[in-house]
Amino acid sequence: MAKEVRSFQENIRRTFIRFSIVPVAAIVMAALVLFIFSWLTFMASSNEQENKAASEEITQKLDVYCNMVDKTADALKKEEYSVPANDLFKILYEDTNEYGDIGNLIVLSPSKEALFTSKDHVPVFLTGSEYSNWGIWNVINKYKGQTKVTLYSGNLCVSKGVYEGDKLQIAIVYIIPKEVMSEAISSQNRYVLITDKHGWVYASNTRGLQDEFGQIDATISSEVGFIKRDGNLFYSYRTVLDKGLIVYTVNDVNRSVHMIWLIVVIIALIFFAIALISVKSTAISSVKYTRDIKKIEDAFEEVQKGKLDVKLDINSSKEFQIIGDDFNAMLEGLKEQIGRNKELAENVAFSQVKQLESQFNPHFIFNTLDNIRFMARIDAVAADKMIVSLSGLLRYSIKEVREEVTVKEDLDHLQYYLNILQIRFNKRFAYNIEVQDDIMDCLIPKLLIQPLLENAVKYGFNGQEKLTVSIRGYQMQEKLIFICEDDGAGIDEELLEEIRTNLKEDRNTSSHYGLYNIHRRISLMYNGDFGLDISSKKDEGTLVRITIPKKMSE
Amino acid sequence: MKKWGIAALFVILLAALVIYIDWRGRSYEIEEEDKLVVVSPHPIEFVIPLIQEFENETGISVDLRSCGTSAAIDSIVNDDDVDIMWGGSLLSVGPYLDDFYSYVTPNKNEYMDAFKNEGSTVTCFSNVPSVLMVNNDLIGDTQITGYADLLNPALKGKIAFGDPGSSSSSFEHLVNMLYAMGEGEPDAGWDYVRKFISQLDGKLLDSSSLVYQGVANGKYAVGLTFEEAAVTMLKSDKHVSIVYMKEGVVSTPDGIYIGKDSKRIENAIKFADFMTSKDAQQYMASDLGRRSVRNDVENSSLVVPGYKINNLPVDRKKVISEKDKWIKEFDRILKEGENG
Repeated sequence: MAKEVRSFQENIRRTFIRFSIVPVAAIVMAALVLFIFSWLTFMASSNEQENKAASEEITQKLDVYCNMVDKTADALKKEEYSVPANDLFKILYEDTNEYGDIGNLIVLSPSKEALFTSKDHVPVFLTGSEYSNWGIWNVINKYKGQTKVTLYSGNLCVSKGVYEGDKLQIAIVYIIPKEVMSEAISSQNRYVLITDKHGWVYASNTRGLQDEFGQIDATISSEVGFIKRDGNLFYSYRTVLDKGLIVYTVNDVNRSVHMIWLIVVIIALIFFAIALISVKSTAISSVKYTRDIKKIEDAFEEVQKGKLDVKLDINSSKEFQIIGDDFNAMLEGLKEQIGRNKELAENVAFSQVKQLESQFNPHFIFNTLDNIRFMARIDAVAADKMIVSLSGLLRYSIKEVREEVTVKEDLDHLQYYLNILQIRFNKRFAYNIEVQDDIMDCLIPKLLIQPLLENAVKYGFNGQEKLTVSIRGYQMQEKLIFICEDDGAGIDEELLEEIRTNLKEDRNTSSHYGLYNIHRRISLMYNGDFGLDISSKKDEGTLVRITIPKKMSE
Repeated sequence: MKKWGIAALFVILLAALVIYIDWRGRSYEIEEEDKLVVVSPHPIEFVIPLIQEFENETGISVDLRSCGTSAAIDSIVNDDDVDIMWGGSLLSVGPYLDDFYSYVTPNKNEYMDAFKNEGSTVTCFSNVPSVLMVNNDLIGDTQITGYADLLNPALKGKIAFGDPGSSSSSFEHLVNMLYAMGEGEPDAGWDYVRKFISQLDGKLLDSSSLVYQGVANGKYAVGLTFEEAAVTMLKSDKHVSIVYMKEGVVSTPDGIYIGKDSKRIENAIKFADFMTSKDAQQYMASDLGRRSVRNDVENSSLVVPGYKINNLPVDRKKVISEKDKWIKEFDRILKEGENG
């Protein structure tokens, strides 16, 4: 498929657009992609980092508390399960002095009696009779001798039962002060939740993300990464601590997503505005920059139509100015050349016409002289008349230098030829000339009618006793028409065709000089639909018609 | 061609971003540990300690969904993912008993005789008498000892009552009224119900929790609720008192119902066993104010011992078969009152 060739202006415009909009689009897109890319990376990695930091802090604190409970157990064991309050306080302060709260360390007898408490109160779930196999006590009984971290009714408890064999000697419960644990998460600028492994929230810096029971939201607890919850988008990360707690860090990325969308929309709008302006301005400026090209294009088109008097006037840029000046110079040269060519062609035509005119002479002279030779023997007077006519005709042909003569002049000189024919054929030849008076002063090529007569005689006398030729001349619609009609033998169909074909040629290829020469002269002298046509019918006669433009002599 | 090169670059860049976002933010589901989906019409304060203890004891994580009785029945019957309905009295759940998994807990041996004869699709969990809860600060001198006292003109518009169509405790009160005021003949009780409805002054609450909270918060002077809710309010130091209707108290056991299509039958059985175990029942009875079904558990000091209550027997089959009819009748009378 052929590709459509675009205009220069269109190309310029496209180039403008390509080098203004496309790079802008590329840069904006790249910037946007990079922005989202880095935002995402930053958001996710900082979430994970802070989650890990918080988890580490919590783990470390839990380790401290568990160690403390173990130490307490050892101390109690050493003292044979009497409770040395001073020693216990010593251990307690030693390990918790950094945290600003000693918490509630409780030592319980197997019968749920509080033997020691660091905070003067013991929660009912440690002493109530219905709790002997419930809550913390359940943990102590179940995990004999192990140090366990349990979340019970909002309290994070480290518990350990000290056993001798299978018999519980003493139980230690430490209720971790919530503030100490919350410290790890309060400074974070995202949602942090600490839950036990079943999802019950122990501490969090938000009231959201948990259900009415105080359990973490099911979608948060069941997925990691981007989470959709109630149509809001979150990014969540978690660490499961080996002490049975889970630390969740959740970013509310909704606002960021909205921001990104806003930025995308704004950028898109700006971009569209730029694109619109570019398209408009490139349309205008491309027209401006290609105005000279348009001028040149128009000039060429004018020239193509044949108008050679255009002139390019360009002052905008040097290159186009040079083109314009060169064009003007070239056109001048062209005009000159055309003028010269025309002159040359006229000269050629003239000389050709001259040559064609002159061709009648030898034939005619030869025939006439032949006749005169006969006449001289038979009729001296007639021979004399013939010689006079011939010399008149020759004089006209040679002496008359003008190309065109009036109808009257040509008819006058035709008389010489008619005289010759009359003498030559005597009574066998008759003629009849009807030329209207109003065309007598019109100009026609010299010796226009003589070849018609010559032709009529040439083809008419073919075993024919008598030949009548009538010549008519009249004007019609600014044209002059001459008709030469005879009642002779007519021309053979083949020959007629040959003559007609010959008439169309630029060069005579046959021996039918008379008609060809006259046709050729007419077409060389006059532009347009002028010339000669011939029709003939065997045994009925021949008709030749000449059409030339009407031209009055001055 | 250059143009295509730029386009390709863009596509690659975009693809890279998409892949990166996908990799960075891939949300993957945490592998489900052992879990159990429980739907419950019980009050939140009631379920949390029991559920927590169950989780700690068994390591099974409970996904708890709280809703009204009829919604709970709907989800246990229709939602494959729900394993257990915890709560809902036998009167309300009665028509659906065939839709549950059949399981007899070994704890049944320790049940009081009254609860030993229930079918195997229900595991009796507690006994819930209907009671009146009175706001001590608002009631003034008005004496309330039973249903008859509720017709006192001074109480018009101050009575909290739930829609028996959606709240099972309200339906139980309706049954209780019909039997108590009809003196054993429920059809004779409608006279009282008509008067009672006019006392409501068009106020009908959507759920049972609105009833006890409404009374405790002083929106209403008296409410028709169930014992455990009233005890919970008492325990949280609200100025309320419990009145056992002198005309008679209907108390129906509520149960644990295991879904027929449960995918975690084992966990569900553990749940039923745990909740009827002595420890759980003991804790429930002493701390949560609900009457145990076991004979080896002492009830809370806040509730009146069983023998002091005028216990009213009901024909449970009749109640179950007439349930829809009675609710419709109730609605009709209510509408009549509104229109007239």
